[in-house]
Amino acid sequence: MKGPRHRLRRPGVWVGVASVLLLAGCYGNSTQKVTTTVPRTEPEAPPDPVGEAEVPRDACRQPRDPGRVSLHRLNRAEYDNTVRDLLGDTKRPARDFPADDISSAGFDNDADVLSMSPLLLEKSSAAATQVLEDAWRKGTLRSCRLDVEDPMPCARELLSRFARRAWRRPVMDSELERLLSLVTLSRQQGDGSEPGMKLALRAVLLSPHFLYRVELDPAPASPAPHRLTDLELAARLAYFLWSSTPDEPLQTLAEAGELHEPMVLEEQVRRMLADPKAQALVENFAGQWLYLRAVDAAAPDPALFPAFDESLRRAMRQETELFFREFLTSDRPLRNMLDADFTYVNDRLAAHYGLPLPGSDTPRRVSLEGHPERMGLFAHGSLLTVTSLPTRTSPVKRGVWVLEQLLCSAPPAPPPNVEGLPPPVDPSASLRQRMEQHRSDPVCAGCHHLMDPIGFGLENFDAIGRWRRTEEGSGAPVDASGTLPGGTAFEGVTGLRPLLKEDARLGECITHQLLTYALGRGLTEADTCAVADITRQAEARGGRWQDLIIAITGSEPFTHRRGEPEEDTP
Amino acid sequence: MSHTALSRRTLLRGTGTLMALPLLEAMLPRTVRAQTAAVPRRLAVFYVPCGIHMAKWTPSASGRGWALTPTLQPLAPVKDDVLVLTGLSHWPGRPELNGHHAAGTAAFLTCARARKTAGTDIYVGISMDQVIANHLQGATRFPSLELGNDAGTGVRACDSSYSCAYSYNIAWAGPSTPRPKETRPRAVFNRLFAGFDPGESQAELEKRRAYERSVLDFVREDARALQGRLGATDRRKVDEYLTSVRELERRVDALEPDGPMCQPGEAPVNTDDVRAKTRAMMDLIVLAFQCDLTRVVTFMLGNARSDRVYDFLGLSDTHHTYSHHQRVQSNYDALAKIDRWEVEQYAYLLHRLKAVRETDGSTLLDSAFVYFGSEVEDGNSHGHSNMPVVVAGRGGGALTPGRHVRYSGEPLANLFISLMQGMGVNRSSFGEDGTGPLRGLKE
Repeated sequence: MKGPRHRLRRPGVWVGVASVLLLAGCYGNSTQKVTTTVPRTEPEAPPDPVGEAEVPRDACRQPRDPGRVSLHRLNRAEYDNTVRDLLGDTKRPARDFPADDISSAGFDNDADVLSMSPLLLEKSSAAATQVLEDAWRKGTLRSCRLDVEDPMPCARELLSRFARRAWRRPVMDSELERLLSLVTLSRQQGDGSEPGMKLALRAVLLSPHFLYRVELDPAPASPAPHRLTDLELAARLAYFLWSSTPDEPLQTLAEAGELHEPMVLEEQVRRMLADPKAQALVENFAGQWLYLRAVDAAAPDPALFPAFDESLRRAMRQETELFFREFLTSDRPLRNMLDADFTYVNDRLAAHYGLPLPGSDTPRRVSLEGHPERMGLFAHGSLLTVTSLPTRTSPVKRGVWVLEQLLCSAPPAPPPNVEGLPPPVDPSASLRQRMEQHRSDPVCAGCHHLMDPIGFGLENFDAIGRWRRTEEGSGAPVDASGTLPGGTAFEGVTGLRPLLKEDARLGECITHQLLTYALGRGLTEADTCAVADITRQAEARGGRWQDLIIAITGSEPFTHRRGEPEEDTP
Repeated sequence: MSHTALSRRTLLRGTGTLMALPLLEAMLPRTVRAQTAAVPRRLAVFYVPCGIHMAKWTPSASGRGWALTPTLQPLAPVKDDVLVLTGLSHWPGRPELNGHHAAGTAAFLTCARARKTAGTDIYVGISMDQVIANHLQGATRFPSLELGNDAGTGVRACDSSYSCAYSYNIAWAGPSTPRPKETRPRAVFNRLFAGFDPGESQAELEKRRAYERSVLDFVREDARALQGRLGATDRRKVDEYLTSVRELERRVDALEPDGPMCQPGEAPVNTDDVRAKTRAMMDLIVLAFQCDLTRVVTFMLGNARSDRVYDFLGLSDTHHTYSHHQRVQSNYDALAKIDRWEVEQYAYLLHRLKAVRETDGSTLLDSAFVYFGSEVEDGNSHGHSNMPVVVAGRGGGALTPGRHVRYSGEPLANLFISLMQGMGVNRSSFGEDGTGPLRGLKE
């Protein structure tokens, strides 16, 4: 790949490759547009003006580019789940692997940035040895007995069965012969067949056919789109919904060539979502999209927030996980996550929120009737805590989270050397007053008039998600009013919520996020039409998560791919 | 002549300790003896994120008459073993616009300017530790070790539009291939000592090698066959795999019948407490050197732009937040506490290295280069003109420590050229701005 690859950062039209960037170039109704131009090798397009830019209809009638996913190395979660499903091993050996890189799109399953290193291969080898040794001891792998005199028939059966599941496709005879030669090797060494069997099994788990999800193009250098094979589709589905390998029913359907049929595909998606393994979507998709994974590392100042402890941390994480899990399979439109009238709390979290105690240490589903301020995702302690600083709330972080994760309209990074708060001139000043600096400085105002108001709307929640009317430090009353860039004024979370729920960008943004995760690649300009189509289809079917998932699994980027034209230069 | 060599196991069995064990020349494995008659030289790199508050770091006097500053105070017991170098510049660490922490960390040991990208086309340069590791290839079981305290953050957010690879790694095998680090002490320990079987005969070892090679041959053949059916990007992905297979193969070739030349002692426990974890990592560095399992180690105390909260120092905001001190005294105070704690950990490493004797009676520290640095100068201004640098050890005579040397903007790359030369690499230029060895390191 030569130049940087241009990623689509939000739905709507891509503004093209500009060679200059407006410094702090946020549009909107700012009257103070900064005109300094800075030469850039990589464009960072500013977000769209609110409510702008439909994709020209004609553009979407052209033949579509389904894009291509690079050879996808299993990430750590995928490796662990895969050995769990192949061998019943739940020890999560990949915890000792080096951390997976997180792409600019915000997920750790991006094939482009999942690299291989000597350390990782070494760790994979050690993990394979360990899980296979354990499985061998437990007898998981030994469905037949290796005869001392004539072990080959059984060896052949075991290896072809195991490699078929591990490689997510039937094994070729030539491959099987090569595997069996390892059994021959140990026999020649006078060790019998067992060490050779273990070598062969290890070779299966160290092979690129296991460590990578292999998808082949009939013509690797041709940009012509083609349909995935059913086996490749099965792997995409399984790693999307389960972060794991296809199970037997899925692989059987794929081998029979039936999986791509829309009815079959949809039925499989529904079956898979109902399976406990779909918890992977909660952990890996929601875990990153909703920043839930950051809850574990959140560190509110114990002096200022003594109420925050491990049990509260756990309850917060569970609340959002259970909440998301319910939406995944329920009949509620996903948009309702923003103002849902229920949540999951245990006594600890209920007390923290000022809700009636459900009388349980484990989270219970509770109605939020009579507590409008607690309705929806924005009132979740998990999200409110991870978008705060250890000592105080951060309207900027909260605003950026909403813009980036829900509206796909992330502002560019701040200009050099303006990170952090300016010196606190007056310690008794409210946070709101201190943040007025953003508006008085034209370099800051362009973007902060987008981020700050959203964060202000959530200011009634403190840095660990408790409801408050005054600020801890200054004692100033909380001012949770704000005005969105379009000029719409609101008051507090209950005023902000409907504005965001009805925001035109929300639907396509969530499609954008989930499609990115489903494909394991960053989206490009070429995916714009697919995102729009998928969103429309999902809405038409009811706008539930399952509608979105089904629309994605049937979409062109999910079911098709293409080769990659060779570049002239070496 | 292994049958005439003393068995170290015989000598050391049951001692169960790492401290100050003498190594006898006759006990050194043949490969080591063939490599150098003298005590080998070693390099350790200690990276700290978010810069240093320089006002409490920089000694006022130079030469031998320098006095410890508040931040450098923990170095008191090893003051005569360290060189404080001020005034060195590191311009390749400057980012395009934003992203000082990512760009500075990518350049930390490469002295190259990182391409601003978050995609597959990451590009910076080979790091100096890897130049050395390549040079020493085959001398030890591991060409190099990459260690650190922090894995990823778990969610989006590294630095500006720079790939997280730039923020998580300081060792680069090539311009586009970072060497990821290990962050779990127990896993490091297990890896260091895996595959040593005390009772193994030469014949058994040969057999084990043949088995290991058979698996690697198998997967290499798979990879090559696959590669022929792929497009350009995927072929490069398989290249990464094949490179990794080759390194594993070299590891198999280097399997020693003798096993490690020291008792590993107890495996460390995994912990998330950064104090215990850092100690465990420092102990592992000493162990790896003492057992001559590697001669090159890099360690990242935190990832670039670290958001660690140092609650045990009585601090509540994140390191990165404090580092944007905005010239506020309370932030300076917090930074000084963090910096001093970092130097304490470095001092602990030096102290441990100094406690281990080599075959000739010198200490591990005498033959080592132990480099301390950060990705930027000051975390607020993100400067690169006066980097915080300490080099400890005598490098087997290549350095004259116990001094503070002032420079006037010479590139850090020149120091690295000196370190590489000290490690036996014949090299007179490096990175973007390295033009020759740095003067003044030896008196």
